[in-house]
Amino acid sequence: MKILLLFFLVLAGCSNTEHGAVRAFTVHTPRPFGYVLGDEIPQQIILETASDVALQTGALPIKGTINRWLELKQATWEKTEIPDGWRYVIDLNYQVFYVPLEVKMLKIPGFALQLSQQGKISSQPVPDWAFTVAPLRELAVRKDDNGEYMRPDAEPHQIASTNAQIAFGLSASLALAIAGYLAYLYGYFPILNRSNVFKQALRKISRLSKGDIGQILAAVHYAFNQLNGKPLFQVQVADFLSRHPEYAALKVQLEWFFAYSNRYHFGHSLVVIDDDVVRLKNLCQHCRAIERGSR
Amino acid sequence: MQLTDWLHKALQFEKHINQVVIGQQDVVRLMLITVFARGHVLLEGNVGVGKTTLLRAVAHGLGGGYQRIEGTIDLMPSDLIYYTYLDKDGKPRVDPGPLLHHGEHLATFFFNEINRARPQVHSLLLRAMAERSIAAFNQDYLFPHLQVFADRNRVEKEETFELPAAAKDRFMMEINIDVPSSDSVLDELMFNPRFHDTDQLISQLPDSGMEYTQLNGFAEKLQQNIQISAKLKQYALSLWRATQKPQDFGVTLSDVVMPQLMLSGASPRGMSYLIRAAKVRAWLHSRDYVLPEDVQAVFAPCMGHRLFLSPLYAYRHEQLLPALLTGLLSAVAAP
Repeated sequence: MKILLLFFLVLAGCSNTEHGAVRAFTVHTPRPFGYVLGDEIPQQIILETASDVALQTGALPIKGTINRWLELKQATWEKTEIPDGWRYVIDLNYQVFYVPLEVKMLKIPGFALQLSQQGKISSQPVPDWAFTVAPLRELAVRKDDNGEYMRPDAEPHQIASTNAQIAFGLSASLALAIAGYLAYLYGYFPILNRSNVFKQALRKISRLSKGDIGQILAAVHYAFNQLNGKPLFQVQVADFLSRHPEYAALKVQLEWFFAYSNRYHFGHSLVVIDDDVVRLKNLCQHCRAIERGSR
Repeated sequence: MQLTDWLHKALQFEKHINQVVIGQQDVVRLMLITVFARGHVLLEGNVGVGKTTLLRAVAHGLGGGYQRIEGTIDLMPSDLIYYTYLDKDGKPRVDPGPLLHHGEHLATFFFNEINRARPQVHSLLLRAMAERSIAAFNQDYLFPHLQVFADRNRVEKEETFELPAAAKDRFMMEINIDVPSSDSVLDELMFNPRFHDTDQLISQLPDSGMEYTQLNGFAEKLQQNIQISAKLKQYALSLWRATQKPQDFGVTLSDVVMPQLMLSGASPRGMSYLIRAAKVRAWLHSRDYVLPEDVQAVFAPCMGHRLFLSPLYAYRHEQLLPALLTGLLSAVAAP
């Protein structure tokens, strides 16, 4: 079992400190056995003092070698305010470098916390902490065995991830498909969009009538703008036809459309008749036929 | 004062100018637009392409008081207002300078090589151009019929002064004039002696039949009679917004971070000039309503000198501005 064992050393009413200087003093340590060469041993000291008491942090153990087999790798402290006093949390992290030939008991040496209160110095001892270290090698030397003597741990066997890979592949493909559709809707594939602009325009205007002439014109303009890659105006029709010669057969209808649209949008009030709508829908259908053929 | 009568005269006038300055039909059309929109013109081009000839021809055709001054580095504002000299009796005299010489009959003030004059002189022109008046000798002088023509060549930069933004903004159009590309036109210009003597060429121009004193009244009538639809207003507004934030309209230029490009977009005065010019173009095309094509045709000459790029891109403005103007027109749809 790898359950950390906590030792509580509660030393209340320390006789060698000023009256009431230390309210609580606790040292948290892990299990005292089962260590081998190179293991780290954390130690946490919690100290609660009166508000006029200050911990002399300069006197705390500093990072570095403690003795020939013990090193202090980390030493940090934190001070927080509690009602009528201070709470200090000191974290120490030791590393053991002892190479025992058999199970051996060792001690992390204690030290004293220095406290100052109204100009007087008192101390709070942190006791030694004993633990056992075990050797890394086998206890008995097997001379008849020609196998590996020191060997690494067995590699963990891999968990089967086929299902997860399939699920990832499926969700990635779905996400890509959705992103592609969204990009299509946003018009990020102009070439793809240009191949069915009049299909969309036809769908829009098919149910519109004379009263919606503005929407009909807007839909046809939008289709031409999409096909042109930028807004298309009346004066640019010739240039447009030279770049899209497949629409050259519709030159007359195109010129009529732009002239009609200009009169409707920018000229004097135009009387719209049913025949205009029919002509517009015919133009759109012709364009759709060309579009389908040019695919 | 019928619009159609004047249209006939205007087109005749244009035809005559095109016979004097050949191969520059677009430039002549823009000049004609500024005459009827009552705007000032800045011509820019290489040396010897016919800038001065064109401006003199237009001025001659319009009639009225005409004055011309050459921009030099030592020209001072007072040189435009008065000059002093000793008369034949040896007495000191102060006579009106080019601006005041014709008084309120001054119709055309031609400032040749304007970028050679100092900014002080440009400043004097600010009021003369915007308000058509100046203050001198403790009184205001009005020039109700004044139209300023200026030119500058783009070959030399030494000993020249860039026009301040405020002065540029008062010009309705900055028109670029290039060497004609047609071989037949170049052939005529080289070998036909008619084009070698500019003075004689201009003196042959027939009277335009347009009285310069009536131009203001007619221009006002023209502006009131040419119609602008709601859709066109929307289009012009979008163009204006696009000059301020081209990135919002999807305009992109190579090697440019678009949000950092513009220092300032078109001014309200610039936009009002644009619409005035578009109305005149519609009239010249025998229409009584403005189309987006009218706005587009005058957009580059009206806006080119009004858009200011941030210092980061200003050194590339000769390359970026034309691309930006084309990009703006390609980005805004109507309807």
